[in-house]
Amino acid sequence: MSSPQTSQQVGPMDTVGHDVPRIDAYERVTGRATYTGDVRLPGMLYARVLRSPHPHARIRSIDTSRAEALPGVRAVVTHETHELIYSSGSIAGGRQYSDAAKDITRNVRYMFDNPVRFVGQPVAAVAAVNRHVAEEALQLIEIDYEELPFVIDPEEALEPGAPPIWPEGNLALDFRNEPRPSGGTSGDPEAGFAAADQVFEDRYTTAFVQDAQMEPRSALAQWEGDKVTIYTPTQGISNCRHDNARDLGLEDHQVQIICKYMGGGFGDKNGSYYFDLIAASLAKEADAPVLLELTRKDDWLGTHGRWHTVQDLKVGVAQDGTVTAIGLRAYSGMGPYLRRSGGISGIDAYACLNVERVIYPVHTNRMVSGNFRAPSDPQGYFAIQSMMDDIAYKVGMDPVDFALKNMRRPTEEVEFTNYFLEECIAQGRELFDWESRWRPEPGSDPGPIKRGAGMAFMMFRSGVGPSSAILRVNADERYTLFVGVTDIGPGAKTTMAMIAAEELGVPLSQVEVVWGDTDRCPYSVGESGSRTTTQTGYAVVQAALDLKGQIAEKGMPRGDDVLIASATPTPSTQGKRRMCFGAHFVEVEADVQLGHVRITKYVAVHESGRILNPLPARDQIRGAAIQGIGQALHEDLLYDPRNGHPLTAGYYGARHVTHMDVPEIEVTFIQTDDGFGPYGAKTVGEAGIILGPAAVANAIFNTIGVRMKDLPITRERILEALA
Amino acid sequence: MKAFTNQNARTLDEAVALAQQALRDGRSVSFVGGGTDLLQLMKDKVVNRPGSGDPDVLVNLKTVEGLDEVTSSGQVVTIGGLTTLEALVEHPVIRDRLTVLAEAAESVATPQIRHTGTLAGNVVQRPWCWYYRNGFPCYKAGGNRCFSIAGENQLHAIFGGGPSYIVHPSDLAPALVALDATFRVVGPEGERTLSGPDFFVLPSQDAEHENVLADDEVLASVALPAPGDGVRSAYHKIMDREAWTHALVSAAVVLDMDGDVCREARIVLGGVAPVPWRVPGAEALLAGQRVTPELAREVGAAAVAGARPLSKNAYKIPLTRGVVERTVLALATSA
Ligand SMILES: Cc1cc2nc3c(=O)[nH]c(=O)nc-3n(C[C@H](O)[C@H](O)[C@H](O)COP(=O)(O)OP(=O)(O)OC[C@H]3O[C@@H](n4cnc5c(N)ncnc54)[C@H](O)[C@@H]3O)c2cc1C
Repeated sequence: MSSPQTSQQVGPMDTVGHDVPRIDAYERVTGRATYTGDVRLPGMLYARVLRSPHPHARIRSIDTSRAEALPGVRAVVTHETHELIYSSGSIAGGRQYSDAAKDITRNVRYMFDNPVRFVGQPVAAVAAVNRHVAEEALQLIEIDYEELPFVIDPEEALEPGAPPIWPEGNLALDFRNEPRPSGGTSGDPEAGFAAADQVFEDRYTTAFVQDAQMEPRSALAQWEGDKVTIYTPTQGISNCRHDNARDLGLEDHQVQIICKYMGGGFGDKNGSYYFDLIAASLAKEADAPVLLELTRKDDWLGTHGRWHTVQDLKVGVAQDGTVTAIGLRAYSGMGPYLRRSGGISGIDAYACLNVERVIYPVHTNRMVSGNFRAPSDPQGYFAIQSMMDDIAYKVGMDPVDFALKNMRRPTEEVEFTNYFLEECIAQGRELFDWESRWRPEPGSDPGPIKRGAGMAFMMFRSGVGPSSAILRVNADERYTLFVGVTDIGPGAKTTMAMIAAEELGVPLSQVEVVWGDTDRCPYSVGESGSRTTTQTGYAVVQAALDLKGQIAEKGMPRGDDVLIASATPTPSTQGKRRMCFGAHFVEVEADVQLGHVRITKYVAVHESGRILNPLPARDQIRGAAIQGIGQALHEDLLYDPRNGHPLTAGYYGARHVTHMDVPEIEVTFIQTDDGFGPYGAKTVGEAGIILGPAAVANAIFNTIGVRMKDLPITRERILEALA
Repeated sequence: MKAFTNQNARTLDEAVALAQQALRDGRSVSFVGGGTDLLQLMKDKVVNRPGSGDPDVLVNLKTVEGLDEVTSSGQVVTIGGLTTLEALVEHPVIRDRLTVLAEAAESVATPQIRHTGTLAGNVVQRPWCWYYRNGFPCYKAGGNRCFSIAGENQLHAIFGGGPSYIVHPSDLAPALVALDATFRVVGPEGERTLSGPDFFVLPSQDAEHENVLADDEVLASVALPAPGDGVRSAYHKIMDREAWTHALVSAAVVLDMDGDVCREARIVLGGVAPVPWRVPGAEALLAGQRVTPELAREVGAAAVAGARPLSKNAYKIPLTRGVVERTVLALATSA
């Protein structure tokens, strides 16, 4: 069936669409690229943070006198000396960067809080002449804690009598500041279930996983009068500036944020982080620049990761395999502070309109959950697509046919800017050779070493929206592009230059990019939500069009003259859904005697509009798929339930995949142009992580014949399931 | 990290004397080889030598001359304690004749760690139990509890546990015991040579330590009887990722073969007990037998006889059984 909304497939242009190595690759591989932790300023001090050893405790008293007396210590800050609200991230439910929500919430998060509510929460910080003195000083801070009852499990946290983490209870407050689950009802679920011939119910769970970026976080703050400059790894310098200004009681223009290079983003850094505030406070106190560095363990526990979930699903199916109703009742573990929504996605990829969702974002005394690359998707897709895969077998259908029958398609009510899900599945099925790799009878291979296949499919929002760019040309025909992007890994800087070169019709070498500094660059939406290319990139196109117009009118500038164009477009899709699409097909080999699972083939087919720079785009899908595999098979931040302490923080404990664990990820793009974004470009960065857990889990079922319903699917769980 | 003094020892005797002097001065002391484990403990403020805090003094053994040599003299192969893991992997005699040791060394961690970490440091490394490594005051840190018993014990012992249920972390240790190594220890009273069973200690004997070394004793070298012509050996390690982590379960297997008949077998398990865990019952089944798939299966079953899992580690039983069965069969039938 070919959709009327399907647009043409497209190929490369002059610059766009060709593999272009990063324009800053040389700086990066030779160590010349300046990451936050590389910056050195004259007279700079080093800072360390003391963290709570308790999951929940009131600080009766805190005595810093011995630390202050240690030679070389220049400043000590605590909740007694600095009562600063740290409000980056929606401390009230899912409304990113909304100052209004931050003003009404009752559950205020301070830079240092009392009581402390998780192991790893900052309690005090020291700035000293070197790292050793700073670390020694931490040991000299004496704190009298009154330990409080704590709760680690989200379901238990909602039971009557559970230790209250907030006076309001443990159900997180929504954006109206009320304790209510998210979700809601569409269509008529009751009628849908009544119309079903069979109703299936099951529980799936997913674990907390850390994004584990390579660069341990740090922040360097320097005051000049009443203006502060903060070097910090952020995905969005503009939002970071605004957050820090608000929390420090300054105007935006009094804060300069610099982030040139960054060792990985992965979400929830499109704003400030509390360590920016600590560095700024210490720097003011000590009257000297302060570099605050997080150790790997601090970074692990003192930041955020993907919320873990418990999902009870109920699905009604008619005789012919049509899904008639879907119900989801779920708990998302958010830690003690609501940083993000706790939402669970995936159900919208199905056509069924009779849906009831009740999702409880729950406070626990674990570390904070937040947005990690496609924040609500891998965990949601794992549950719903495992469930649907299971139902396909139960109703005697090939899971691919079941997907094609039940996936969402454009309708008269819900239009898409274009729609390529069916093509993704069809190409994936063929490239993967589904017919030969999939076992009609799960677990049927003889012997202890078996193979099988699974798949999953998705659609993910690829919105359009405002962002800005400034473009300048001088008499030498050198073009300078000012964009407020940071380069967190996907190569935004290169992409922005490519777009300018394409639109201007000049070689890439004639375009220079100024980026990563709020004093020099205009607003950018920030590199979260996979939207830098689509939004800031579109602003670059518009600025280039403007500049071309000026050049046509006035001619090239001469002498010391320059021509300057700027653009802040606010495009809209007029109510149509703009989505990117994808399907992943996975083959695994399982040794059922030793519980070992190895991925033997991984095919990822994506439609992400036009691919502006295929080289890093492929790597984005690969890297994301690898993170998805890690979530599927390895990672879990385990807590000791009796002590409330995390046990598996860090690369060793969390068992991230190594290169040796990772198969070749075969990436194919279906390239299209729906007329939006720069040349039809859509979202790439997050799309690749969504399907790993579901596709791997479905492949494991096909291989061993037992449905694994809890992530991660470890050797231990496989052996227990087969015992 | 706390400030400390580094002292370079030039001889073994000097190393011991430096340690003694530090102890007499009331300062805590640790020997350091590659430092790959010790440095991490110090950064995380985890107790290395129970009964004392973070080390005030490090006695550096890398400066002791001749402690990183492998010598093969007739019936004995002697390996200096400071020999790096990578040197074990690459040494032709070890590769060809003591294969299980080379394979065990090659299975350790990462190339970086293998190039820096030493044999003695590997054998003496402290447990990797997540309670101990996260600073819980357990037996291994000088406390009086094992938190795994009623806690998260997925990675813990199924044999020989109590009162602590750690598993011995070293990959070299099972291989060395399977090869019948002796351990040469140098201390204030001179030197002593210990067999594997005498060197490693169960928590029931000493809950704080994994071996007999005192604070001022150095593991100087190990000696291995040169194996006879029919001897072949292998190390099979199961991890929950392909590299950079310790064994969930491992098996060091040494078979003395006469054609397709096994004269004698030594099977030592890693990852399942607080010491390298020899399974004599399984070994005995092989003596004087042709190794068939059926016999290998019986050997695997015998290897787990008497296992006593905790609440969350019963999966190690079928895993151990499978590893032993496969390793024995593959080794016996390899040409
Ligand atoms: C990420 C990671 C993964 C690892 N994975 C594995 C693995 O898979 N398998 C495995 O077996 N090991 C593993 N290890 C441990 C690694 O093998 C050890 O760190 C290394 O072998 C220790 O050697 P070293 O010389 O660096 O010891 P050091 O760090 O110098 O010392 C370790 C300990 O031994 C003591 N010591 C050192 N030398 C002597 C001596 N001659 N006499 C007496 N005491 C001594 C020290 O005081 C200290 O307590 C891993 C380590 C890391 C960091």
